[in-house]
Amino acid sequence: MESTLTATTEETTATTPGRGRRPNPHVAQFLRTFYYLRRNGLAMFGLGVIIALILIALYALTLPIPTQSLAFYCSTNGASTCVPGTPICTYPQGVTAPGPNCYQTPVAGGVSFFPSIIPPTFDLSHFSGGPLPLGSLTIDPSHNAFFNLYDGMLRGSDWSLIISLSIVLTGAAIGAIVGAVAGTFGGLIDEVLMRLVDIFLSIPAILFVIVIIAVLQVSPVFGTFDARIGLLVIGFVVVWWPFYARIVRGQVLVVREQKYVEAARACGAGRGRIILRHILPNSVYPVFIQVSLDVGTIPLFVGTLVFLGFAVIPTSVGSGIFPEWGSITAVAVTPLIGLLTTCQFGQCIIPWWQFFFPGFALFMFAISVNFLSDGLRDALDPRLRR
Amino acid sequence: MQMWVYIVRRTLLLIPIIIGVMTITFILISALPTGLRCVSYFPIPRSGDIGPTGPCPGNPTQSNCPNPWWTHCVSVLGLNNPVPLQWATYMYNSLTFNWGTVNLNSYLSTHTEYTFMGGEPVTSALAQVLPYTLELATISLLLILVVSIPLGNLSAANRNRPIDQASRVMSFSGYALAPFLLGSLLLMAFVILIGASNGWHSLTCAASPTYLEFYHSWPANQCFPGGNPPSWLANNIVSSPTGFPTVDAAYHGQWAIAADTLIRLILPAFVIAYGSIAGLLRYVRNSMLEVMNLDFVRTARAKGVPEAIVINRHAGRNSLNVTITVLGLTFATFISGFPVTETVFGLTGVGRLLALSINIPFDYGIVFGSVLLFTYLVVAANIIVDVLYAYLDPRVRLG
Repeated sequence: MESTLTATTEETTATTPGRGRRPNPHVAQFLRTFYYLRRNGLAMFGLGVIIALILIALYALTLPIPTQSLAFYCSTNGASTCVPGTPICTYPQGVTAPGPNCYQTPVAGGVSFFPSIIPPTFDLSHFSGGPLPLGSLTIDPSHNAFFNLYDGMLRGSDWSLIISLSIVLTGAAIGAIVGAVAGTFGGLIDEVLMRLVDIFLSIPAILFVIVIIAVLQVSPVFGTFDARIGLLVIGFVVVWWPFYARIVRGQVLVVREQKYVEAARACGAGRGRIILRHILPNSVYPVFIQVSLDVGTIPLFVGTLVFLGFAVIPTSVGSGIFPEWGSITAVAVTPLIGLLTTCQFGQCIIPWWQFFFPGFALFMFAISVNFLSDGLRDALDPRLRR
Repeated sequence: MQMWVYIVRRTLLLIPIIIGVMTITFILISALPTGLRCVSYFPIPRSGDIGPTGPCPGNPTQSNCPNPWWTHCVSVLGLNNPVPLQWATYMYNSLTFNWGTVNLNSYLSTHTEYTFMGGEPVTSALAQVLPYTLELATISLLLILVVSIPLGNLSAANRNRPIDQASRVMSFSGYALAPFLLGSLLLMAFVILIGASNGWHSLTCAASPTYLEFYHSWPANQCFPGGNPPSWLANNIVSSPTGFPTVDAAYHGQWAIAADTLIRLILPAFVIAYGSIAGLLRYVRNSMLEVMNLDFVRTARAKGVPEAIVINRHAGRNSLNVTITVLGLTFATFISGFPVTETVFGLTGVGRLLALSINIPFDYGIVFGSVLLFTYLVVAANIIVDVLYAYLDPRVRLG
């Protein structure tokens, strides 16, 4: 009872004219949406996590971490092939530690064990260069080069957000235009565009991305690091726009029959004005929700691509891991599956931190985005408000 | 409208979709350099020359004579023809299942498990592994239906109670967990926590496509607890009439092998199903909530029908329509899970073939072939779903 009372009062303050000046209707709408959103605990949790991640991404931009492949850490234990990077002191079992901050290579069953692992340390004084607070990830078969997971996750927040936002926003823009054109013009244009959308949607998404990237990566145009990222984005955009086109078109078909569109037409508004000012703004809410859902999904798909063997940064372009949550997780998980088949019963040491930290970041990002968009759907749809 | 008229009409609507999909693959394949196209269509010549020119037959010191392999490829694929003619050639080839040849030099053919595929036609390579994928798909579809419909009904019946919240969290986590992560985590959990003592270690040892090498190709010390293969392994299965591992084993009366194969498929099937369950669960719940407000449900309750029957018979049957439509819509997502899951669990299906073929050097024949194959599977599934929908809801075909 109490909550309904507050709802009425808050709604009144948000919508009714204040002292003297009527508030901007967009602001009022935003305040009302946020009011309903605030009552949804999961959505607020999601919003909090996302804001934190955005702050981390902004912080990461100021750090001297390379944006492309990451700085390696080289084992001092016979590192001959290691790419120059910060050396880390490691030593095999049976030998006394050469000094402080040195890590013993784990041994199981009498054999020096794959992967040679440096466990996470709680010594936070080494955040930016020394032994790794979140553990490390072995990236070469000789087990001498390590990937700093902490750096990777920081830089990964940048790349995950940038890649998924650019894919989803481009896709949504294309989809919104196609859907709006198909919905408003109708007839032959609608038929052709929607058949095109059907064709695109009948190819399973991840396979479509794979085939596009597999074909285009041959081209020398996509030889540099930036172009490889662009290729990734292009592949996803080509696959993603039809989803939005279908949603927008369905919504436009509903909206264009509304009375206010008829009223605008009766006032003599032109077709362009009706589409841009009346139909599109009222059709974008479902797209908005789908966009927010997909922002969380894209890093999962990037990880999937890397897991399947597609190298975002092939050796011809640079060496190392593409510092993005999905791909770090994939790179960390891949050898572990082989490990399960090759090690004997009871002898496996699973370096859990290698996939846990980036995987958890990935999971938290995706699930927070889901919570938030579910909350948004409820807040934006008056029928779902309880 | 008669049912068969509806089916025929629905099938005819496929033609533009299939033409469109093939046109997209044609555009993509045309973007490839000629050399890569030829390699994916014709076995590499014995000399190993895959350029436009090669050593001259009479004079080995000169190397600017036209390569017969290259000229043959260009003339057969019509690569010098105008684009519409090239398109027609490509369409003809695709429709007659001439999808190219597995490249002998690709990562796939050099992979130890797949060396026998090098130089084979793509269609026969795919046909060898397709039954395995279909079997996995069947089991995971069953799993989706068995889990999501009762759970959706249950959470609608207990709206906003703990079970509803639990299924909602499960649904969210299904969107947020990448299949490769979920699969690896489950595999690790089973192998490490309960594997060593109970034989679950063998989960990572999957069956081969042909029974001649089935089981015997596994290193016994890795795949069986204590290094002792079970006694029934001594019985060889010599022929595989259908290609479906479980069906074949049952056909030969090897029930132990059939059961073992099924058990091995449950975990991968669950990983594939999980994402779809997450999607379907919400739709089932929401459509149940809508149906449960309708008059006939109230009537049923009023006349004293037990609540379980109201939910399962009256409301459940009527909400099935939505479930089936959504299942059809999510089928493309469902198919997308195969490459990853089959890679994680080492299953010999089409998805794993595709995953291996996108490792450098790529195998474009398999890449394009498996994309076409998976697309046809999706399209076929959509038709089946539509027909099922028309069967369940006569208004669709009558109206």
